[in-house]
Amino acid sequence: MNRRSRQRFAYWHEILLAGLLSCLLVWAWRTDPAFVSRDAQVELSTHVWELALLALPMTLIVITAGIDLSVGSAMALCAVTLGLTYEAGVPPLVGSLLALLVGTAAGALNGLFVAKVRVHPLIVTLATLAVYRGIAEGVSLGRPVSGFPDSFGFLGRGEVGGVPLPGLIFAVLAVAFSIVLAKTPFGRCLYALGHNETAARFSGIAVDRVKLWLYTLSGAMTGLAGVLLVARRNTAKADLGAGMELDVITAVVLGGTSIFGGRGNLVGTVLGVLLIHEAREFVSWHWQRDELNLVVIGALLILSVLVQRVLSSGRQEERH
Amino acid sequence: MSRPPQLLLAGILLSVFLTGCANKPTETPPAVQPANTPAAGKAQAGKKITVCLLPKKKGIPYFTSCAKGAEEAAKELGNVNLIYDGPTDGSAEKSASLIEQWTLKGVDVIAVSPNDPEVLAPAMTKAREKGVHLLTWDADAKPDTREFLVNQATPKEIGYTLVDTMAKDLGGEGAQGEVAIITATVTAANQNEWMKYMKERLPKYPGLKLVATKPSNEDQKLAFSVAQDLMKAYPNLKGLFAISSVAFPAAAEAVKQAGKAGKVLVTGLATPNDMRAYVKDGTVKSVILWNTVDLGYLTVQTARAVVDGTLTKESKTLKAGRLGERRIEGDNVLLGNILVFTKENIDEYEF
Repeated sequence: MNRRSRQRFAYWHEILLAGLLSCLLVWAWRTDPAFVSRDAQVELSTHVWELALLALPMTLIVITAGIDLSVGSAMALCAVTLGLTYEAGVPPLVGSLLALLVGTAAGALNGLFVAKVRVHPLIVTLATLAVYRGIAEGVSLGRPVSGFPDSFGFLGRGEVGGVPLPGLIFAVLAVAFSIVLAKTPFGRCLYALGHNETAARFSGIAVDRVKLWLYTLSGAMTGLAGVLLVARRNTAKADLGAGMELDVITAVVLGGTSIFGGRGNLVGTVLGVLLIHEAREFVSWHWQRDELNLVVIGALLILSVLVQRVLSSGRQEERH
Repeated sequence: MSRPPQLLLAGILLSVFLTGCANKPTETPPAVQPANTPAAGKAQAGKKITVCLLPKKKGIPYFTSCAKGAEEAAKELGNVNLIYDGPTDGSAEKSASLIEQWTLKGVDVIAVSPNDPEVLAPAMTKAREKGVHLLTWDADAKPDTREFLVNQATPKEIGYTLVDTMAKDLGGEGAQGEVAIITATVTAANQNEWMKYMKERLPKYPGLKLVATKPSNEDQKLAFSVAQDLMKAYPNLKGLFAISSVAFPAAAEAVKQAGKAGKVLVTGLATPNDMRAYVKDGTVKSVILWNTVDLGYLTVQTARAVVDGTLTKESKTLKAGRLGERRIEGDNVLLGNILVFTKENIDEYEF
């Protein structure tokens, strides 16, 4: 009985986010009805898919009290891989597979350093943030590659039954990630790891292997996001997704995942991504001021953390 | 400890998101108003229109001064609603997103200064398909993605003027010494065109030897250190061309701090306000630029004329308010008149 009521409390943050999101959409609907029309929303949604895809593995990583700062750079590296192989005459679909491989390898490298060499993920991925971007710029010399065939562009711009294809991919993966996190031993291990790594280790969890897999998974997702981004923009370039890691982490934290690990879920992340996306698009739609966007995102983050504090102070003894 | 409500919630949310608030469209008007279809184009002559001006990067003096001129033209015309916005970080992805958003809003004209023609091409093409008039200004995009380019000056004039000015400041026809170029990015279309003509002009001054060309990625700090590196690598360096408005002040500052003012001459393109201090203390003898305020002004005038149908592919001149008649070459509307600012005249210009 007592336990159940506490379970319900656990979703206050999601309810808060959903409330904020509805307020925003209602406000948008009253001031700029065109903004919430189906056409506009579908079109604008194309701006968010890479961020959304990268937020999925990032949630899992942050739950383990880790972090991956290299996602934006790794995505650019994958995009450049696709671009250069296409230029060399490799069909784009094969190039996409190669890009996925490069992304996976980049993630695995992060994982190796985190799990085997036991360097803090913040440091490892801060280093690879620079390294991957450097390699991408080095091998491409900053030159953009474009002119991909329309059949490939469909991957990023196409619609199936009125729903953007990247959106479908995201939906499937979001459900898959949710199931993995909530229902599988692997997913439960992540929470254990985030709460107390030493305890997790002693209770027989193969901590190192879990971490290696986790960062590799994140790398593979950067590959997928990179391919979709190239398909959508029809251009592969080394400066794609610069600064993206901060947006991704902001969405995850806004979604209620604790940066100290052990707490969080994907519903929150999806809501966080949605809220950031809608807020950003509406601000630039309504006020036409790019500089205002940064302020709004920051304010949202502070607001949600503050409310989270107020909500949690009453029911939970402070952690650590 | 399974969490069924979490999955359920996720499912509901996703379906709401993916259908894009499908419960609302019946109550909302279509995003693109019929008045903007090409067929209705002529009917809009004289009516209130919305013009979007997209800079490469928002918040730098060069583009802020362009926006000033654009606002002036909008006010003067009285029937132009001007939107000026762009990425504060110069990101091409953001520029593309803005073009897509403006297309959805159903604006009449989008005037783009492309920070990356390739990345912007799909968004620009889509906007044209939806009936929006597409112009470029300040820099060009791929020719099939726009109707007209509002061109500040031909690349040939700019390239030649840069070299001629440097030679003049270094002692005229017989100028001697090593010179280097600091450009924007390796892919910047403008700068690459100018450099082509600079290299074409250099042989006129056999004493000048081009020793290096380095990118600065429109980054002030990088331009500063590139200038420092160049002075170290080439101790006999006599002249530095800094051919972007971000690189020029940074390079001048580097030369000044190295105590080489007067020994290494810097010239390039930037607004007079940015360079005034360096011109007065002698680090820089000449600053080359067109009137950026007029460039913004002319762009809005061109936008109006395109919507009104007074500017077509056959036009030879354009009546542009206080600028009078401006020449048109092909699909380029020319601003003309490169300005050279020196100690003597720089105080006459405030932008």
